[in-house]
Amino acid sequence: MMQSAPFTLRRGFLLLGRLFLGGLLIYAGYAKLILPGMYPHPPVGVALALFATQIDSYQLLPPWAVIQLARSLPFAEIALGLLLVIGWQLRIWASFATALLLGFVVIVVRSYAKGLEINCGCFGPGEALTIKTVLRDGALLALTAGIAVCAFLEARASHPWSAPEKR
Amino acid sequence: MNRRSIRAGAIICALLAAGLFLGRELRHGLALKTGVASALPSPGDPSSTPAPVESAQPYSPSAKSPSVLATVEAAPLPKLAQATPAVPSIDPRKALGSKSAPITIEVFSDYQCPACRTLYVSVWRQLVDNYANTGKVYLVHRDFPLPVHAHSRVAAHYANAAAHIGKFEIVEQLLFEKQATWEQSGDVDGTVARVLTPAEMTKVRALVKGGTLEEGIKKDVELAQFYRVTQTPTSIITCKGQTYPVVGVQSYAVFHAFLDQLLSQK
Repeated sequence: MMQSAPFTLRRGFLLLGRLFLGGLLIYAGYAKLILPGMYPHPPVGVALALFATQIDSYQLLPPWAVIQLARSLPFAEIALGLLLVIGWQLRIWASFATALLLGFVVIVVRSYAKGLEINCGCFGPGEALTIKTVLRDGALLALTAGIAVCAFLEARASHPWSAPEKR
Repeated sequence: MNRRSIRAGAIICALLAAGLFLGRELRHGLALKTGVASALPSPGDPSSTPAPVESAQPYSPSAKSPSVLATVEAAPLPKLAQATPAVPSIDPRKALGSKSAPITIEVFSDYQCPACRTLYVSVWRQLVDNYANTGKVYLVHRDFPLPVHAHSRVAAHYANAAAHIGKFEIVEQLLFEKQATWEQSGDVDGTVARVLTPAEMTKVRALVKGGTLEEGIKKDVELAQFYRVTQTPTSIITCKGQTYPVVGVQSYAVFHAFLDQLLSQK
């Protein structure tokens, strides 16, 4: 008879971690598209153009790349968040999220070290880039990397579904 | 409960959340189209926001005219990205373009801040040519001298004095372009004297010594606190009653894309 996987600490961490991280990524994308602090909400096009100004203040990419990134990143965050919440192909998407967060951390640390007085743009406008941003992004990166590692370990471990049924 | 049912449950939850999100946005869009939103607390509603202030009133540092700042002291600070009633009092001598332009950009800057200089040199001139001079944008300079910069307040005094005699634009340009020179020597007076006639310099010096200019700078700083500005340069862009904070230095192309997006709003 088929049985559900027994609960372990690792599985508990995976479940809670991916739900939290997925939810956070969905909110991050939503905040960039909708600008929850504003009422009435401006059109999505305006929100994305405003997000482009935030990306541009990092002084990393040429204008055309900034505009393309601003148009795609919020949707990518929402899609990635949904995939993490669902838990489908977790190893792939958790690794992808780790790479994304690693990129964010590198950029944030670089900007902080350079003393750029800018907005983070992580969850919409209005959040200054401070040491708190660096620490928060670092903690999120650690969590995401932990989820990816656990997802790989979990895939290696023998699973009750794949084990032959006892007679 | 097996793994499949958990996964199915998660998918259903995600779809429900996506549905709720889309429904909310659709309802909001519908409300805007049918004018329902106008029944909601609006930027112009005096009960929901600080009272609007007559814009573009003549610059008078010593005048005790009512300003938005008087209201701000009593009212709690708003969220940064909140709709504001109107652009507060503007000194037309420190602004470029038409007062009736659909977009107002208030740039809070510090004459000694290198990033402010970069923004001025790389973006400001193009904004003046392509947006202010064509009546699309009203560009306003706001003083936000940071305490870490030894001479920025003095420079702001000189710029405001120059505004009084109608020479703001040329002095502002000079202060930013020659920033490296005067920030080391602290000789703001000598730098400004390069572009003004002796007669104009006499008037400027008298105004600087008069001590009346501080009030105008203080008003700008208080306005910055109202907008929750903490860094320079910060551009507060107002369009259709909404304020959008843009912090730091951007390239002109990205700024241009944002302004065009605002102008294309119906």
